[in-house]
Amino acid sequence: MNRNLRFVIGSMVIVATIGYLMYTGIRETSAYYLTIQEFLPKKDQYGNMPLRVAGRVQPGSIDYDAKSLHLRFHLAAFSDANRQEPSVPVSFTGILPDMFADGRDVIVEGRYTSGMLEASQVLTSCPSKYEAKTAAEAGQPAPGRQG
Amino acid sequence: MDRIHLSDLGTFALQLAWCLALYSIVACVYGARGAKGEFVASGRRAALAVFGCVAAAVAIMLHALITRDLQVEYVASYSSSTLPLQYTVAALWGGMAGSLLLWLFILNLSSTIVHVQNRDRHRLLMPYVTATLMTISLFFLSLLVFVVPAFRRLPFAPSEGSDLNPLLQNYWMMIHPPSLYAGYVTVSVPFAFCIAALVTGQLGDAWIRSTRRWTLFAWFFLTLGNVFGGAWAYEVLGWGGYWAWDPVENAAFMPWLVMTAFLHSVMIQEKKDMLKVWNVSLIILAFALTIFGTFLTRSGVISSVHSFTQSGLGPFFLWFLAGALAVAVGLVIWRLPLLRSQNQLESFFSREAAFLFNNLILLGICFTVFWGTIFPVISEWVRGVKITVGPPFFNRVNAPLGLSLLFLTGIGPIIAWRRATPRNLQRNFAGPLAFGFASGLALFALGMRQLAGLVSFSLCSFVTATIAFEFYRGTRARQTLVGESAVTALAHLVSKNHRRYGGYVIHLGIVLVFLGITGSSLFKEEVQATVAEGQAFSIGRYQLRFDRLTKEDSPHLSITRAEVTVLRAGQSIGVLRPEKRFYKRPGQPTTEVAIRKTLREDLYLVLGALDASSGLVTFQTFLNPLVSWLWIGGAVMMIGTAVVMTPTPAERYVRAAVQARETSAALSRAEES
Repeated sequence: MNRNLRFVIGSMVIVATIGYLMYTGIRETSAYYLTIQEFLPKKDQYGNMPLRVAGRVQPGSIDYDAKSLHLRFHLAAFSDANRQEPSVPVSFTGILPDMFADGRDVIVEGRYTSGMLEASQVLTSCPSKYEAKTAAEAGQPAPGRQG
Repeated sequence: MDRIHLSDLGTFALQLAWCLALYSIVACVYGARGAKGEFVASGRRAALAVFGCVAAAVAIMLHALITRDLQVEYVASYSSSTLPLQYTVAALWGGMAGSLLLWLFILNLSSTIVHVQNRDRHRLLMPYVTATLMTISLFFLSLLVFVVPAFRRLPFAPSEGSDLNPLLQNYWMMIHPPSLYAGYVTVSVPFAFCIAALVTGQLGDAWIRSTRRWTLFAWFFLTLGNVFGGAWAYEVLGWGGYWAWDPVENAAFMPWLVMTAFLHSVMIQEKKDMLKVWNVSLIILAFALTIFGTFLTRSGVISSVHSFTQSGLGPFFLWFLAGALAVAVGLVIWRLPLLRSQNQLESFFSREAAFLFNNLILLGICFTVFWGTIFPVISEWVRGVKITVGPPFFNRVNAPLGLSLLFLTGIGPIIAWRRATPRNLQRNFAGPLAFGFASGLALFALGMRQLAGLVSFSLCSFVTATIAFEFYRGTRARQTLVGESAVTALAHLVSKNHRRYGGYVIHLGIVLVFLGITGSSLFKEEVQATVAEGQAFSIGRYQLRFDRLTKEDSPHLSITRAEVTVLRAGQSIGVLRPEKRFYKRPGQPTTEVAIRKTLREDLYLVLGALDASSGLVTFQTFLNPLVSWLWIGGAVMMIGTAVVMTPTPAERYVRAAVQARETSAALSRAEES
């Protein structure tokens, strides 16, 4: 009985350590994952928290300076029609992702401060004919992480 | 009336296979319960016929792909008339239905081999092994017959196919999916034997011993598949790393962790008759994770670079998983009395304890990975909003766990069974521990200050020392006793005990992998530079000079290539040519990375952005120290596994004797009846 108890205690120590590491890990590295439609109504309450927002590049909104690598665009809701959807401005400095273009589905990782989404990463997804209808809602990252 | 096409025969083959699989399950179970040998034999023959049908379906699909039969929807979706032959073959597993077909093929091939291997053995177990394997086949066949028809024809042949995704058009696509699938699917074999053992109550070592080869085989390919996946990500995806804790990477990693634990804990059951409940639970968990992993890649529940997207298959997999777990757990609970073992753990300082801690840590890593992967789903369920955790979470938690595991790798193989006395602890470990500690001090003296790096490299030295010490001691013993030369002694040492020394080689491979991971994670450098032609920038001890851009154009794709000369201390040591490609038909751009590999470090160059107007080019460069050791370590692990799997002459003799005995027993039984 004594031996089993010792072993149980030893295992509990390992389990507790793992639990602690996981808890602090989650607390310090987690980010909210939202679609643009979920984000926009409540955007102010997400101020300065790590976010991942899935949306679509608003056609005509891309402003990219290839020398300074500064990118600005508007992240809008998914829609098939070409109307003006509510959007949020995004700012990103870095290499333009391969698939990045008007109307592409993207996921922006970053923080929302002073009315702008400051992106640390922009992930693009591939437009595939066979997944067009459903991929939009999921906003999946592409086979190829860029940014 | 419509013509019958060859592809329709493919559909028919799958439907026939479905019926045969169902029959096989019923016949085997009925025959086993009623001791009606003829039904069991019939069920076994049906299982072999299922393989025949599945093989035919695969052959028909390959034929459709190679002859570019674009009217078959699958062929049109994943290939084209201009796709090179090797990628056309790879397109077999490039899409949803094809990947399910591959699963089925490997499963039934394994099933056929199992039936041939065991045609005269394990008469009590085999009917249930067949029934289990056929149940799994029935699930996948149901998906292919009712949900995702593989051979659906389009109303007319399109003028051109959609082609295989350009990111998949490389040699990795030829080797990574098949190896990973081979690993994944063959976990079903030990699982099937486990279920059969639980149902029949034959819970001795028989089910473990007869599946040892399959377990090693599955582990071999899971390891290979994971390493290939990392290498593919590194060489093709262009973000400078090899592992992103992507949900599908995790899906392939979790079964590997559990199978590693299983491989170790069965040794305890064999030697000490302990941990029986633990072992059956582990193999059930491993199988569940393979189904869960297959689910993750097909449901889009958790978005990932790999998902074949929402295809509606998710719920089916979840139901199958739930059902399989319910049955398996129910069986374990029912058989709990038979699974009790006599022996207990006696001391923390023993091999049993080391193996047990090894298992706990491996499962701990698995749990961490699982939790991190499904966290978005859980958080949405609990709080209504998706929260993701990224690579930092996994790295933070898994790094200390991994290092503890590395430490145990040095301890486990050498520490005594039952209870290690202070004397044999000192004899076995003082030297290697001193060596490890000295390495750490040396690195500290040379300027390394990162604690994780110091600990990791010290542990690598420690484990290497224990392995070297074992080889040395064994060789010296043979030299003294038998009088052989050192080389002969070493060769004979290994050849007489493949399990032990092959295992040491695998552990050495693990050490090299840790070396590669530590170097490339802790000491990585990254530089982003925008330069004009003729300008240079530096990273580490290298200077990179952008010389020129060249362009190439073909009907299939257009390429923009940068020529960059690599200089060290003013001397040119090579040229790197990163590219940006545009695949015309799917309209997809890709980036081709240029890597200069040495044992010490990799120089990894990405052509980031081109500004046509100013002629400026942006490069992203990474310096990844020691990363080649990761791949070398993987190769060493493969060699070690091959050694472990090869039977020694002594083992072959024993096996032949056992088989002869069982065959003559079977023959005399047949004569009597």
